[in-house]
Amino acid sequence: MNLAIAGMGWITPLGSGVDPVWERLLQGEEARAEKITDQFGDQCYSVFHVPESALASSAAHPRLRRASVISRFAAAAGVEALEAAGVKPDSQSAQRIALVFAISNGGVIYTKRFYRDIVETGAQSASPLLFPETVFNAPASHLAAILGITGATYTLVGDSAVGLMAIKMAEDLMTNEALDYCLVVGAEEVDWLLCDAYRRWRLLRLAPPVEPFARIDRGMILSEGAGAILIGRDGPIIIEATQAGGHYRTRAETEGKIKQILYDLSQAKIDFVISSANGTFIDKAECGAVQGIIPNAFVYTAKPALGESVGAAGLWQVILGSQALRCGELPPLLHAEATIPLRISPLRIPVAGARHTIVLSCGVNQQVAGLRLSIR
Amino acid sequence: MAKSNDTNEKRGAARVAVVAAGVVSPLGFGLSETLDSLREARDCVNGVTRFSVTGCRCKTAGQLPDERLLERRCNGAHARRRHRASHMVIQALGEALTQEPQFKPELTVVGTTSGGMSYGEDYFRSLNRNSSLRRSPTWIANYPAQKPVIDAQEAFGISAPCQVIANACASGTNAIGHAFECVRSGRYQRLLAGGYDALSELVFVGFDSLRASTPEKCRPFDRDRTGMVLGEGAAVLALENLDAARVRGARVLAEIIGYGISTDNFHMTQPDPSGIGPRQAMERALGSANISADVVDYINAHGTATAFNDAAEGKAISALFDRVPVSSTKSMMGHSLGAAGAIEAIISLLALQHQFLPPNINFHAADEDIDLNVVANEAQSAVLRTVLSNSFGFGGTNASILMRKFEA
Repeated sequence: MNLAIAGMGWITPLGSGVDPVWERLLQGEEARAEKITDQFGDQCYSVFHVPESALASSAAHPRLRRASVISRFAAAAGVEALEAAGVKPDSQSAQRIALVFAISNGGVIYTKRFYRDIVETGAQSASPLLFPETVFNAPASHLAAILGITGATYTLVGDSAVGLMAIKMAEDLMTNEALDYCLVVGAEEVDWLLCDAYRRWRLLRLAPPVEPFARIDRGMILSEGAGAILIGRDGPIIIEATQAGGHYRTRAETEGKIKQILYDLSQAKIDFVISSANGTFIDKAECGAVQGIIPNAFVYTAKPALGESVGAAGLWQVILGSQALRCGELPPLLHAEATIPLRISPLRIPVAGARHTIVLSCGVNQQVAGLRLSIR
Repeated sequence: MAKSNDTNEKRGAARVAVVAAGVVSPLGFGLSETLDSLREARDCVNGVTRFSVTGCRCKTAGQLPDERLLERRCNGAHARRRHRASHMVIQALGEALTQEPQFKPELTVVGTTSGGMSYGEDYFRSLNRNSSLRRSPTWIANYPAQKPVIDAQEAFGISAPCQVIANACASGTNAIGHAFECVRSGRYQRLLAGGYDALSELVFVGFDSLRASTPEKCRPFDRDRTGMVLGEGAAVLALENLDAARVRGARVLAEIIGYGISTDNFHMTQPDPSGIGPRQAMERALGSANISADVVDYINAHGTATAFNDAAEGKAISALFDRVPVSSTKSMMGHSLGAAGAIEAIISLLALQHQFLPPNINFHAADEDIDLNVVANEAQSAVLRTVLSNSFGFGGTNASILMRKFEA
């Protein structure tokens, strides 16, 4: 059963809307890093924030009044994907739409605020308004309410591979012929607390650029936003195969796991790979795996331009792959050394006639997954 | 309404067997202890010892004793760094694999609400108080929700992809239900499914702040109910295509025959008072199994003992079923959130295997607004063939699964 992408939505640090963001990536633009400090003012971090203007046109909804920004990102991307497909859910058709939500860190801003009150002032000061927004499925619940979805709604949690895991779940759900569509949304918000955690884990660099596939992995820059794809049974981009991967036990195992995914997905000629390289240890693993299995494929990663959006990252990659197949062009790979042993380009590069791409997601917390897209 | 025949096989759909199960909960470590606690109607809720509950109205929860939880812990630094939740999943999976040592899942689907939350708390507290962050890499690396599942798989040499569902308190039932549909569709032969959650201060205080938890006993469906108490634990079920299980001579513990999921968009923390969400989930489970409500012999209710949940669930049950026996086993062990649906699936399985109705303890007076046949305070012998288990959660997520006694 091949499923298709019927619509897409995108909220990123480079703005909102699939076509505008894509155009800016083609132009070689990079999100502007903003400095944030921890609550003690001791440590400064660079992050890629979604500009407020990107949400200006998104619809206000009562459910979003008290919601964290992650829910606003998700709603904007989800609504855009439905509109792009010309789908307007009503009480009947909404029952035939499932929602699968991918998330990693979730509503960290409200969670931190809620727990900080407990730590600093005691349990009696805990806010009953904040607590519901700390649960992982709060953004999915808000989006379901906005769209009127009353059937299957799932929130999946994982690392950067969770977006592709969510698409795999959608594929399983769509075996139910009672469903017309499955809306898959990935979203994340950024906060200094996450920066601190990833820094202590030695995965973060304090300022751009993100240097993909570099000899020394200097780390990633966190970002935020959302991506949404509406999966249906018809559309120009086909999800030909998904590979839920599995997990690697140690970093040394990562390349082998990725190779297995690439091997399984490269039964067709692969024209290019949308990589998840983000400046960390996973870059070497992906580089080695691509070199070993499909050395002739072009490789692109948008993380130097958009940052690491973790729960949203997989959906962003699928949007990138779909756009590249549709437009026959790949954006320039930013901040990459010329000596990288992969087919990369510092300039936008035509891939006209490209039929197949692999989207590869390797998370920093042991999960890996991939999928293959093709164009009709 | 579903068809009235009692053949629950949808045309062309595979039947789904439960071939192994494992559980740790306040009721006990393993199936045998759990069965004993259910039959003896033990109250396994006690004073919280894991963190300070100063400032909270509620002071109790169903807790797992660390000395037992960690007693079978493997040696080595890696094992010592694991979160308590990992040890729960390891014990539950270990028990299941004792029954089916060669079980190799193609996919593992597990529900949770908060992963390794207490490690996140340790990290934030240390940061906030400027105290030692020496252990922060351990806390950070072991905090993510998928980690306990990966840890448990690694402990037994399993490398299946993990889908971790966080649908609040419905997560465990959603995980089993989704796994059931994966096998029934014919896309998979065998999966692991379950749920886990460990107590954490943030979640405990959160429910207390909502006044959803009670300073008194947990009395589901009682007229004088005042709220829930939390719990913790893990449960794992091994699901397999029934035909494949038969071919290899596997022991079938029960069948899963239906699954229903619904989303009511009423409120983040309260169900629609009409009970439409739970009702749709149960109706869809009956439709999925292609059976009528009158063949259901027992319902393991979500039954949190909050005013709103029990009223909505009671209304939905009484609208669909005619005086079917109902109990909420949360009265004995507390509400273990993402684990609850999985643990209660195993309780339903034990009820089918041993032909008894698990009790709803602390039940003193019926609520005249809730017309239910509550299994009050003591387990009862019964002839059971089909049972339903409900789970509902924040965000309006509702899930129900149907299980049937296996008859070869």
